[in-house]
Amino acid sequence: MDILLKAENICYSVDEKISRRNKEEKHILKDISFSVIKGSILGISGESGSGKTTLAKIITGILIPTSGKIIFNDSNSDNSRTNKIQILFQNNGEILNPFRIIEDIIIEALLIRDKKINIEIEKKKNLSSVNFPEHLWKRRGFELSGGEMQRAALARIIAVKPELLILDEPFSAQDVESQQNLLNLFQDINKNFGITMICIVHNLKLIRKLADEMLIMYKGEIVERGKTKELFTEPRHPYTKFLLKAENYDLSYEEFIKMKLQ
Amino acid sequence: MPVLHAAIKQIKVRSTVEEKILLRDIAFDLKPNNIYIIIGKNGSGKTTLLKALTGLLDQRFYNIEGEIFFEDENLLTTNKEKLLEIRNDKIKYVFQDPINSFDNLKTFDYYFKKLSKNNSQTETLLDYFLLPPSNKLYKMYPFEVSGGMAQRISLTLALSAEPELIILDEPTSGIDVGIANLFLLKLKEFAASGNHSVLLVTQDLDFAKRVSNKIARLSNEKLSEFKPVDEFFHEESSTQPSPKGRL
Repeated sequence: MDILLKAENICYSVDEKISRRNKEEKHILKDISFSVIKGSILGISGESGSGKTTLAKIITGILIPTSGKIIFNDSNSDNSRTNKIQILFQNNGEILNPFRIIEDIIIEALLIRDKKINIEIEKKKNLSSVNFPEHLWKRRGFELSGGEMQRAALARIIAVKPELLILDEPFSAQDVESQQNLLNLFQDINKNFGITMICIVHNLKLIRKLADEMLIMYKGEIVERGKTKELFTEPRHPYTKFLLKAENYDLSYEEFIKMKLQ
Repeated sequence: MPVLHAAIKQIKVRSTVEEKILLRDIAFDLKPNNIYIIIGKNGSGKTTLLKALTGLLDQRFYNIEGEIFFEDENLLTTNKEKLLEIRNDKIKYVFQDPINSFDNLKTFDYYFKKLSKNNSQTETLLDYFLLPPSNKLYKMYPFEVSGGMAQRISLTLALSAEPELIILDEPTSGIDVGIANLFLLKLKEFAASGNHSVLLVTQDLDFAKRVSNKIARLSNEKLSEFKPVDEFFHEESSTQPSPKGRL
């Protein structure tokens, strides 16, 4: 099995102001190492502040780690990741220019990839692959609903044919049917385009249906990792057990506090 | 006697181009010591309905025909001062995106001093939701807190006001599952005590099943009858088509 991406001993810290004169180093990520197999879907879960989005930004090159390295396609160079890694952020409305016609955005992205393609065929293929209906192609961003905007953003990402797609909380604020449709869409993209994915979610039940492997993060560290099925049926780390119990709304207040104090 | 009685013929929204009916023929009572949940797809009108119940729809754009009685007051026809009094003391609304419901130029002190009825109880609630104590929190501005923290502060504020009815719009969206468990426990405790009632909308069906007594679905402009949880989901599974897709 080919490894597409390897994270080696990634650390990330920032200076946090604690008083007018004093700063303290805050460790956001502590010694993170993992690899992603080509063609697979990796799920990353953990509570807010565990470092998931920071890790995603480091993988894409938006942030530079304090130490450690990201190796993509056996290359350590930042240049190797341009366009080959794409990220779909949580606030999709801010990704697309609200005043541009969606079709024009997609055509522009397709031409970035290859100026010699048949634009009409590729455009149709691209927008159909994310179930973006034809009657919306000539709309502008501000005229779309949240779900439609998300699909348009996804279409633009796929247009540049990335090798790795990072999804940051793609299911938040979606109704049940939309979540199901999105899950199916991500599976199709992974299968039909061969795009490797990293999916960051709060909702363990959704990621269980999508990811081949999982990482559970807590306070900047990976506390558990493994095949999704095994992780859910035989969790080992107390925090993973806590998350699974919380998902089922089975936690007592005492159990919650005990976890927080550990 | 119900905490709230709603009989809404229709809610229309007006733009410069057209007038559209958003909701129609909605009637229900909220009785004390119950948690009522409304579920429905995005865009079905859940937030519109919640805002209509608390007089938060802008009357320049929305027209509501019907009546909404809280105690003996029809919230649709009562004067502004009475409506404000009810919203300050008796009905509290927790918005879906609470961080945007606070004024960034006012510290939290402004809100708690206005609404909190019992300082000692407020401190207990702050501690329960893992928020800073009042001597620290009240000096903070909304822009200094995260979205999840704003949600916890919003619920603490609502509970501190000791209302009769709390209305919540998607209370578990954007917060960690651990905190969502705390919300569930606290809302159950609130509803079980005094003359209290809770109405909330959510996409989180697991939360809905664990927290509520009665559930209704909003779809095609109408609200189904509120039914006990088990009965509601049993009927739904036998009448709704199964979701599309392989998963």
